[in-house]
Amino acid sequence: MGIEPDRLQFSWVSSAEATKFVQVVTEVTRAIKDLGPNKNLVKTMPKVA
Amino acid sequence: MLSYIDKIKEISIRLLKECRVEMVIGFRKGTVPMMNEPHFAKSPEDVENFVWDSNCGINLCNYLTNRGEKIGILAKGCDSRNIVTHIIENKIKRDQLVIIGVPCKGMIDKRKISAMFEGEIGEVIENENNITVKGDGFEKTLNKKDVLQQNCAICIHRNPVIHDELVGDLVEEQIDVDRYEDVREIEALAPQEKATHFEKLLEPCIRCYACRNACPLCYCPTCFTDESRPQWVGKGQDPTDVSTFHFLRAYHCAGRCTDCGACERSCPVGINMRVFTKKLEKDCLELFEWEAGLDPDVRPPLDTYRPGDPDEFIK
Amino acid sequence: MSEWEPKIVAFLCNWCSYGAADLAGVGRMEYPSNIRVIRIPCTGRMDPKFFLAALREGADGVWVSG
Repeated sequence: MGIEPDRLQFSWVSSAEATKFVQVVTEVTRAIKDLGPNKNLVKTMPKVA
Repeated sequence: MLSYIDKIKEISIRLLKECRVEMVIGFRKGTVPMMNEPHFAKSPEDVENFVWDSNCGINLCNYLTNRGEKIGILAKGCDSRNIVTHIIENKIKRDQLVIIGVPCKGMIDKRKISAMFEGEIGEVIENENNITVKGDGFEKTLNKKDVLQQNCAICIHRNPVIHDELVGDLVEEQIDVDRYEDVREIEALAPQEKATHFEKLLEPCIRCYACRNACPLCYCPTCFTDESRPQWVGKGQDPTDVSTFHFLRAYHCAGRCTDCGACERSCPVGINMRVFTKKLEKDCLELFEWEAGLDPDVRPPLDTYRPGDPDEFIK
Repeated sequence: MSEWEPKIVAFLCNWCSYGAADLAGVGRMEYPSNIRVIRIPCTGRMDPKFFLAALREGADGVWVSG
């Protein structure tokens, strides 16, 4: 639908796995940083004069 | 297909006379050519108005949602699969229904035919393999096969999957059809190209929600488009809102859609929104080997967990 | 303006990842500050419309974690 698959990430982290949490956050952030800003499906407000 | 009508009437009259059902849902002739409308026969006299031809594309399952009475219903292959989905989703009970199975050879595409002629079409006469279209100053005979709805042309479940009565012999199922040609084409596009493609596809949408209303799966008491707090999707024709609507509607039909074509058929501006539901149908088939509405005793993939789930993260 | 930083909406399950995030905080662990956490009662609460709503409002990515 015009959205890169990597923009939506799923994972499974148990509440005891703080290290894994940190690791996943870092990975997700890097993946999305690599994709650059999202342009599609963004609602833009109509310009008011 | 045309010969079914006597049997349809006979069965309907019998069911109504024996009080096995309170009404039979079928089709009657519409006011304009190629547009049959649903007909609800509540007495044996009403049955006289029933017709059956290649213009019975409306999905009658739409009229079963949350009904309390006993109902006889005509069901083509796709209708019957939607009835199964309704039974799975507890929208109707199996013992409330007498399903009159109608083996189907496909419905004709009104839009395709109208586009072939300049003037207004006055009359359409149908026989077993051909239709003759008559209008002001023209008359042409067409092969039915060439003017089928696209979803009918690639249909692989023409016979009802569930039925109590049958109005004719089962028809031969099509086996060598490529159901997902168009989906694969879109899948091959890059994300940005997809975005452009969909924006163009959905550009004419006027947000009339005919597709939602014609769809037998869309029975939510309050549709997400009508929710205002929070408002998930704007009501205007802003491209983002339009695509949000169509994407979300498609996702709600994931694993449930039978590609009956009701949405596309009802669209006043002729958008082929079936590409979205078909993509999800293809995914369900490839990931879970699932085709919607084939068996009322099997739970759909999206409400079960199997250890063999294709996604890694969940294991 | 310095380097572009993505905005990521994180839908975290109350019982799993949200707990992990809490623990990471208690443990003073460092992680990128790009995520905006939304706590959901269970990953089963996740809905495709949340994802679309996030993008509509300008998120660059969505992360769902159970």
